[in-house]
Amino acid sequence: MGFGVGVVTGIVLSFEFGLGFARFGQMAGPAIGPMIALEVLTSFFLEAGFLGIMLFGLNRVGPKLHFFATCMVALGTLLSATWILSANSWMQTPDGVAIDHGHVVVTDWLRVVVNPSWLIRLPHMLTAAYLTACFLVSGIGAWYLLRKEHLEFGKRTVSLGMGFATVLIAVQVFIGDILYGRMLQYQPSKMQAAEGFWETESESPAPYYWIIVPDQESQRNRFTLGTPYLGSIWLTHSLDGRVKGLKNTPRDRQPYMGLVFYGFRTMYGIAILMFSLVVASLWLRLRGRLFTARWFLRALVVMTPSGVLATLGGWYLAETGRQPWVIYGVLRTVDAVSPVPPNVLLSTLILFICVYTLFLTGFLAYTGRLIRRGPDEAPEYAEARGSLKPALMPAISNAASRAVQPKEA
Amino acid sequence: MDLPLFSALFAVCSLLLYILLDGFDLGVGALLLLPRDEHVRDRMVDSIVPIWDGNETWLIMAGITLFAAFPVAYGILLPAFYLPLMIMLLGLGLRGVSFEFRMQVSRARWAWDIAFGLGSIVAALMQGLIVGGLIQGVAVDGERFSGSVFDVCTAFCLMVAISVLAGYVVLGAGWLHLKGTGPVRMFAERSLRVAAVAFVSLAILSTAAAAVAYETVMTAWAAHPVLLTAISVTFLAVALMLLRAVGARADGRPFYLGLTLFALGVIGLGVVILPYMVPYRLTLWEAASARSSQLFVLIGALVVTPIVLGYSAFAYYVFRGKTPEHGWET
Repeated sequence: MGFGVGVVTGIVLSFEFGLGFARFGQMAGPAIGPMIALEVLTSFFLEAGFLGIMLFGLNRVGPKLHFFATCMVALGTLLSATWILSANSWMQTPDGVAIDHGHVVVTDWLRVVVNPSWLIRLPHMLTAAYLTACFLVSGIGAWYLLRKEHLEFGKRTVSLGMGFATVLIAVQVFIGDILYGRMLQYQPSKMQAAEGFWETESESPAPYYWIIVPDQESQRNRFTLGTPYLGSIWLTHSLDGRVKGLKNTPRDRQPYMGLVFYGFRTMYGIAILMFSLVVASLWLRLRGRLFTARWFLRALVVMTPSGVLATLGGWYLAETGRQPWVIYGVLRTVDAVSPVPPNVLLSTLILFICVYTLFLTGFLAYTGRLIRRGPDEAPEYAEARGSLKPALMPAISNAASRAVQPKEA
Repeated sequence: MDLPLFSALFAVCSLLLYILLDGFDLGVGALLLLPRDEHVRDRMVDSIVPIWDGNETWLIMAGITLFAAFPVAYGILLPAFYLPLMIMLLGLGLRGVSFEFRMQVSRARWAWDIAFGLGSIVAALMQGLIVGGLIQGVAVDGERFSGSVFDVCTAFCLMVAISVLAGYVVLGAGWLHLKGTGPVRMFAERSLRVAAVAFVSLAILSTAAAAVAYETVMTAWAAHPVLLTAISVTFLAVALMLLRAVGARADGRPFYLGLTLFALGVIGLGVVILPYMVPYRLTLWEAASARSSQLFVLIGALVVTPIVLGYSAFAYYVFRGKTPEHGWET
């Protein structure tokens, strides 16, 4: 169901380059267009072509081909992320092009596709997607365990989910740190805004802000709440280091600090929570209480949507932090918009918000009902054994068991 | 090599595939409003559910090819057709989620079927408005669209829009004629008879109106009188064959003849509009992006498109034959 809603809302993006941002489309089309064309060719078709076979074709193609189709859908999704991150990273750190009469001319395709931030942002986003999935399924599994139903399923999901999360969160912290350094180098204004400091040099020792009320007009914070010393320790790796503030960037090139700051804090705060829960899960697992510690299961239930929120926060940081540019350092957002009257833009925006709210409500309501109904009606999974192998191959064994015992119609 | 010409060919082929394939999906969707029997509606949706997503992808392919190879045209045409495109996207979205949501409910399934039908009808009408707008021509100043977003709100465009909707219904009913059994097949025959007559009359009216109202269309007729007359005569002949094929033993014949009708229509439209990318203002060579971008897309398309066509055809092959009475899982 998530796939269905995701696909239809994704189509809009392919047209939004021209509908809302015609000048951007005309200027950047020669660089971004071919990448997205390749995305459509290599991934959208792959997903869409095999999705039907995956969902409805088991009895028509047999288990092996069905598993192949499932793999192709996964591969399509992965390739899609690869291309779209390349395109977005090019907007963040454009490279390999020359400007000719207001149009981008690609001089080196390799440098456009493999632009400076892509190789870090891609694994960052993929790890985020997998982490999101880990906490989503763990939360649902924990809910079953708390309600004492579908115990086998609940244990398996919590165990697998937290197991993968353990590895992934460590990887994510590592990648995130590299990305932080890379963005500081290429988009200093974004990271200046993300930390909430205004002055060119902060006081020493610098605090780490958790809550700020920024005042863009007078270039200062009206209110701050932070942990003393922590800013110096985390950001400069010393006890008294100073942090650079947003005033280092000329005023007409500054992003809005509030949006960037809270996007970053949402992502970072959730990452800290995830990390703590993963540490707790390791400890509980060693003591054999992973499935019984109620406080931990309750925390997992609360954290069910955490990955989604963290990903959103991260994208807010990436996109609002790039402002006022749509292509960093090349094209300003105000110069990129379409010649469409503002009231028409506003009405269609409101229309979209209404319809998308309907989609979201339907999605949440029906997914919630599926979760409440439980996995009994869902396909059976491989028996939990010591090795990961059977858990990773539910499709094959499930298909095989179905083929042996055909359901009575 | 004339790269922009090849890119334009690729875009036109994608668009043609989209119109032919999603055309029948949308037609089935529009017809979903009619049958009272929920079982019939379930079978209708079943007949398109495994393949609709792949069909819709050709629209994205066409749009993105325009973006990559003709960015100037992309940046003019999309704002020019801002309203119909936006509403079309909403319609397609509504149709897409209805596929998923209707499966999740049993009591209120009719509500999502209405959403499904309305989404399909709106999407079809908006696509028709855009076709009408292309025939009318687009106001351009330099590289910017200089008209109003309401330029497509004319009586002519509305007539074209209704023709396109009727045409999609012909395709959809033809598809059900091919895939359906029992009551679905009966329903398909009844709808085909009405829709085919409506489509052909509207198509003739629109063609005549275009020639009378727009000088550019008349010029095209004067430039290619034989070709355009041949297309029109073939169109009418195929339409007559289609009407005779309704209810025949050959299940697929109305559907394939319907596809032929649409292909002829698109060719005719191409003769009128090409070589313009933005009708009557910018030719495809004037709107083309730099050589390096054209090459990137074309090489990618050359390598990947055969594979895409291969497994798309395979997906159709997997779900060949009549739609099962109790869903694909049985």
